[in-house]
Amino acid sequence: MTQLVLGQVLNGAIIGAMYGIIALGITLTFGITGIVNFALGEFMMIGAYATYALAERFGWPYPVAVVPACLIAAAAGYLANKAFFRFTRNNLVNGLLVSIGLISILESAALLFWTATPLEMHFVLPGALRLGEVGLPKMKLVVFAVILAVIVLTYLGLARTWLGRAAFAYAQNPEAAMLMGVHTPRLETAVMLYSTGLAGLGGALYASLYSLEPAMGGVYVLKGMEAAILGGIGSLMGSLWGGVILGVIEGVGSIFLPTAFRDAYGLAILVAILLFRPAGLFGTE
Amino acid sequence: MILRLVLWSALYALPIFVRSDFLLTILIFTFIYGMLGVTLDLIFGFTGQLSMFHPAVFGVSAYMTYLLASKAGLPFWLATIPSALTAVVLAMIVGSICFKFRLKTFYFAVVTLAFAEVIRLVVLNWNSVTNGTLGLVVTGRPTVWLPGMGVVAIKGPVAWYYLTLVSLTLTVIVCARCLSSWMGRCFGAIRLNEDLARTLGIDVFRYKLASFAVGNALASFAGGLYGYYTAYIDPGYLSINQSMDVLAMVLLGGQGTLIGPIVGSLVLTSLPHVIDLRAEARAILYGAILIFTILVMPRGIVGTFNAWRARRAA
Repeated sequence: MTQLVLGQVLNGAIIGAMYGIIALGITLTFGITGIVNFALGEFMMIGAYATYALAERFGWPYPVAVVPACLIAAAAGYLANKAFFRFTRNNLVNGLLVSIGLISILESAALLFWTATPLEMHFVLPGALRLGEVGLPKMKLVVFAVILAVIVLTYLGLARTWLGRAAFAYAQNPEAAMLMGVHTPRLETAVMLYSTGLAGLGGALYASLYSLEPAMGGVYVLKGMEAAILGGIGSLMGSLWGGVILGVIEGVGSIFLPTAFRDAYGLAILVAILLFRPAGLFGTE
Repeated sequence: MILRLVLWSALYALPIFVRSDFLLTILIFTFIYGMLGVTLDLIFGFTGQLSMFHPAVFGVSAYMTYLLASKAGLPFWLATIPSALTAVVLAMIVGSICFKFRLKTFYFAVVTLAFAEVIRLVVLNWNSVTNGTLGLVVTGRPTVWLPGMGVVAIKGPVAWYYLTLVSLTLTVIVCARCLSSWMGRCFGAIRLNEDLARTLGIDVFRYKLASFAVGNALASFAGGLYGYYTAYIDPGYLSINQSMDVLAMVLLGGQGTLIGPIVGSLVLTSLPHVIDLRAEARAILYGAILIFTILVMPRGIVGTFNAWRARRAA
């Protein structure tokens, strides 16, 4: 039983950290540029399939394949920003609708290209650490550590560097930021590149653990959004915690309650938390 | 006004001149999706709340109408009433949660989408009632009472054409009545400026909920009809794609108009029949149309046409 519960907690924490990465991307893009990129899950899908193609088809080692996969996702994000998203600034509904169109296009393209058959990669890092009675797969620990490191670095980067302060300034008042010497179009592009690249990284990590399907992006973006609302929109660490809480609740919930409804448990908690803290767990009114 | 009357009468007169089953079938689907589009437009285009809850109500009503008719032996029309009531109850629950917390724009969209997903999961996994992924084959037909002919079953394209057209007309009339009343003015005020509407003494929560409930209740009829027309119901009725299709129809036709969603529905339902495409290619086309409409033609076909006419008249 301990093995089962702890296993599900770890599993939930990793899936939750993936939600967290998407939530972070949504929060960053929205908070800084005022653009809603609800299609982030699709960039995750692109990253995952790119990793699969590079590692399995071309035979590159996994850690080497991750970097170009992130770059491919970021490049796709750059194109999407130039072609569509920059026209939806400060218009949430249009951003959402453009994203829905983009989700449809990318998901169907992936279906045409890769078919609906789930794809699995070979084990990247087999084996498990044993802690007494409980076994923890090594790869899952690595993935969790990488995601945690990325989120902490993002936080530090925004809090401590000139670029981070410029981003905050831009979020508060784009014109004033421009007058202070911030190249605003470049900053907007940078945020878009970073958030989509991050989603690509999430996808690349996902590919090493789970099987890939073209529809994976849609699920993750919905959960990412729930995580972002749970943590409080605008709070960076909140998005990570929101994701982890959501993932763990789903994982542990499906031990004791029917698995088929696991998507509902997170939502129930979200509604319950919104009842008591409308601004989310870490948000401020 | 005259143009509109001519268009409606042309639709009613059409089967007298056109006997092509192919064309009538396209129009029947157009009318059913048009009902969904018009009711979504009541919530989205007129009240400004982007709801993603439509497929849930559509699917649940399709199941409920059929199950009540087959298991409880109710006639079709009687079975649509509890379905509509269920739709209202669901809309009240989801709407109260969302509006109480003042979830707006895309937060509202995401939370309604999440609720719709939960309902889809319930339908998908409740095997004993819904038969899971396999779906249900619908037997039986709706019947109507006609003067001079007694009770007749709806059979064949022409009968279905009139049944769906009358349903669409009634839906449009109910929506139009709502919109021209005090309630409709409140919807518009909420769309344009919610805070101002509140300071003017409009109970924003109540009117948002009213719009959401009316829209969903009317949409439930479309579900019942669709199940009987296609003679097959499966959980795909509740999928996110369904929501997207209807949204694309509303946007392409013109949000904030009652005719727009029907025009959008006509274009998007006839498109796959006119050009033969695989399902994936069709989804790509839908996505492209959605993006194109929002970025290039945000007022949709009807909105652009109206603007063009107004410019010409001036």
